[in-house]
Amino acid sequence: MSDPVVVDRVTKRFAGHTAVDALSLSVPSGLIYGLLGPNGAGKTTTLRMIMDIYEPDSGSVRLFDQVGGGRMHSARIGYLPEERGLYPKMRVLDVLVFLAETKGVARRAARVKALEWLDRLGLNDWRLRKVSELSKGMQQKVQFISTMLHDPDLVILDEPFSGLDPVNSQVLRDTVLDYRRRGKTVLFSTHIMEHAEKLCDRLCIIARGKKLIDGSLAEVKGTHGGKHVIVEFDGSQGGARQVFGDRRLVAKLQDFGQHAELELAPGADAQEILRALVISGARLSRFELASPSLHKIFVDLVGPDAATAAANPANAREPERAGA
Amino acid sequence: MLESRSVPVRKVWAVIRREFVERVRTKWFWISAILGPVLFAGIIVFQIVQSVGGAERHIAVVDSTSSDYGTRVVESLGGSRLIRATRVQAGPGVIDSLTRLVEAKQLNGFLIISDQLTETGKAEYRASNLSLQTIEELQRALNRLLVKVRLEERGVNPAVVEYAQSLRVTLDQKKIARGRTTEESAGQSFIMAYVIAILLFMAILLYGVNVMSSVLEEKRDRIVEVLVSSLRPFQLMLGKVFGAGAVSFFQFLIWGVSARVLISMRGPIARALGADAASAQSMVLPHIPFATLAVFMAFFLGGFLLYSAMFAAVGAMSSNEQEARQAQQPVTYLLMISYLSIIGLTNDPSSTFAKTLSIVPFTSPIATPVRWTAGSMGTGELVLSLAMLAIAIVGVTWVAARIYRVGILMTGKRPTLKELVRWVRTA
Repeated sequence: MSDPVVVDRVTKRFAGHTAVDALSLSVPSGLIYGLLGPNGAGKTTTLRMIMDIYEPDSGSVRLFDQVGGGRMHSARIGYLPEERGLYPKMRVLDVLVFLAETKGVARRAARVKALEWLDRLGLNDWRLRKVSELSKGMQQKVQFISTMLHDPDLVILDEPFSGLDPVNSQVLRDTVLDYRRRGKTVLFSTHIMEHAEKLCDRLCIIARGKKLIDGSLAEVKGTHGGKHVIVEFDGSQGGARQVFGDRRLVAKLQDFGQHAELELAPGADAQEILRALVISGARLSRFELASPSLHKIFVDLVGPDAATAAANPANAREPERAGA
Repeated sequence: MLESRSVPVRKVWAVIRREFVERVRTKWFWISAILGPVLFAGIIVFQIVQSVGGAERHIAVVDSTSSDYGTRVVESLGGSRLIRATRVQAGPGVIDSLTRLVEAKQLNGFLIISDQLTETGKAEYRASNLSLQTIEELQRALNRLLVKVRLEERGVNPAVVEYAQSLRVTLDQKKIARGRTTEESAGQSFIMAYVIAILLFMAILLYGVNVMSSVLEEKRDRIVEVLVSSLRPFQLMLGKVFGAGAVSFFQFLIWGVSARVLISMRGPIARALGADAASAQSMVLPHIPFATLAVFMAFFLGGFLLYSAMFAAVGAMSSNEQEARQAQQPVTYLLMISYLSIIGLTNDPSSTFAKTLSIVPFTSPIATPVRWTAGSMGTGELVLSLAMLAIAIVGVTWVAARIYRVGILMTGKRPTLKELVRWVRTA
C-alpha cells in the first residue's frame, strides 16, 4: 500500500498571489507528519486542498491511493480546521452526533461513541448542556472528540495547539501519540517548532508556498547545519563573547544571554572552544554537543523575519483567503 | 472504502434533521405557533360579537325639511338591524352640539337633510367612523324615500308605491371557474386571494430569512469548515433549505389544524359568548377546493426554494448581521414587487399586468395562486407558470450554490458585484 496522503505538485493561486506553489509531499502510513512553516506559508491552503475544500489550480491530491480529496473519504479522515467552532446553541451530545453523521456514521453508533468519548474526557455531566455553557477548554475537548469520534485512519490537524491550555495540549498530545501506536496516520501543521520537535516522525518545512526541506526528523537535522554546541553560563561569562566572535571557531551564533547555541565553523573542534571558554574565565554550567534544534533549522531556512513573526502567535492570521 | 451511494443522502438528511430539530426547539417557533391560532380565535370571537349587536350604530337625523321628511327617514330606517336613528329638529347650534356628542363617542354620527333632498338628491352624513355598511344602508333608505316622495308628488297612489317597493332583489352570486360553478361572492374571492397572497409573502420572506441566518450562523461560529470537509457545499445548502422548508410546513400544519378545530368549535364558542349558534354557523367561510390548496402549496414550495437559495447565497457572502441585512435588500425588493402588486392583482386578475406577473418566476409564486383563486387562470397558463418557476429554481440554485461555495469560507469585506460574478464563473 502506498502512502495515505500523496500531494503531487499542487498549486493554488488567489487574487494577486500564489499561496501554494508546486508543492509535493507524501505522508507515510502510521507516522506523525508535521507541516511546518511561518504564518502565511500556505499550510492551511495545503491542508484545505487535501481536504477538498479548495480545488488545486494544478497538481493532484491522492488519498488512500485514490484520486480526489478528503470529502470522498470523510468517514476515514478526522479534520480539525484552524478555525474552530461548534453550534453554540446545540447540546453537546447532539453536536457530536450530528458531526459524526455528516461523516457518514450511523446515528445510533455515533451516539454510543460520543458517550464513550465524553466519559473518557470527563465531560459526561455536560452532555445535555448547550455548547455555549461550556468553558473554552471544554469546548476544545468537544472539538477533539468530533475530530476523533469516528475512529479515522488519518487525522489532519491544522494548528492543533493554537489556543489550547496546557492541560488540553497534553490531552491532544496523548491522543495523537495513542493514534500512532494504533497504526494510524497523523498530519498536522504548526508554526511552533517545539511542538513539532516533540511529536513529528517526519516533517516538511514550507515558506511562501514552496517546500524548503522534508524528511524524517533525524534526516532534516543531519543534512542541515553542522555541529552544534549549547553553552550555558553559571554567572560570570568572562571573555566568552570574544570566543564566540572568533570566525575560525564559530560560524553562527544564537545568543540568549545566559544560554547560547553555536554552530561550529567548518573544521573547528568543539574541544578547542571549550578550552578557549575556560581560559577566557567563563563559568560554565553546561557544554553540550548537540544536533541543531528544529527552531534553529527553521530560522536558518526561513529567515529571521519570518521566524519572528512565527514565534509571535499574536499576529497569527494567515492571509491565505481568497480576496484577502 | 468509497462511500456507498446512500451515504450522501444520509448526510443531507442529517443536515435537514438538525435544522428542523434545532429550530423547532426554539421558543420563537412555539410563540408563533401559538400566536397564529390565538389570532384566528380572536377573529372568530370578533365576528360573533359583531353579529350579536355590539356594532349597533346610533345616529341622529337633523331635519330642516318643510315637510318633515326626517320622521319618514327614521321610519324607513326602523327596519334596520344596524342603525338606530332619532329625529332632531334643525336649529341654531344643533350641528355643534351633535358634533360634540360624536366626539364624546355618545353618538356615532348624524344625517343632515334639507329640502334639497327631494330636489337634487343631496344629503350629508357626518360621523367619526364612515363605515361602508352604514353608508350603504343610509343611501338605500334615502333612495327609497326619495322615489316614494317623487312618485307621490306626481299623484301615484301611495299604496301602489308601497307595493312597488315591497320587493327587493336578491342577487345570488356564483362563480364559474374551471368548469365548476361555486357559491362564492366577489368579496369572498377577493379576500381569499388577498389572504393567500399575504400568507405566501410572509412565509417566503420569513423562512427565506431563516435560511440566511442559519447560513450566517454557521459561518460566524466557524462550523462551516468542518461541515464542508465532509459535505459538499451544495449538499449543505440543500439540507438547510429543505430543513427550513420543513419547519415552515410544520408551522402551517399547526396553524391549519388549529384553524380547522376552531372553526368546528365556533358553535360552542358562540353560545359561550351569548350569541345564537345559528348565526355563528352562518358565518361566511370561504370554500377552499383541493386544487386551490394544491396550487398554493406548489407555489409556496417553489417560491420558497427560489428565494431561500438566494437568501442562502446572501448569508454566505456576508460575515455579520448588518452586512447580511444590507445584502438581502435586492432579494427582498424582488419579493416586494409581488407584494406591492397584490391590490392590482386582486382587482383585475386577468389583466396583462397580472398575466405577466404570473409568468415571471420571481413574482409568480405569489401572483399565480392569486389569479388561480380568483378563477382567471387556465390550466395551460398554470403549467407554463410552473415550468418557468422550475427552470428559474434550477438556474438560481446553480448560481447561488456557486456563490455559497466560495462565500462560506470567506471572512472580511463583502464581495463586490464584480467579485461575485467571478465566484460564479470560477467556483
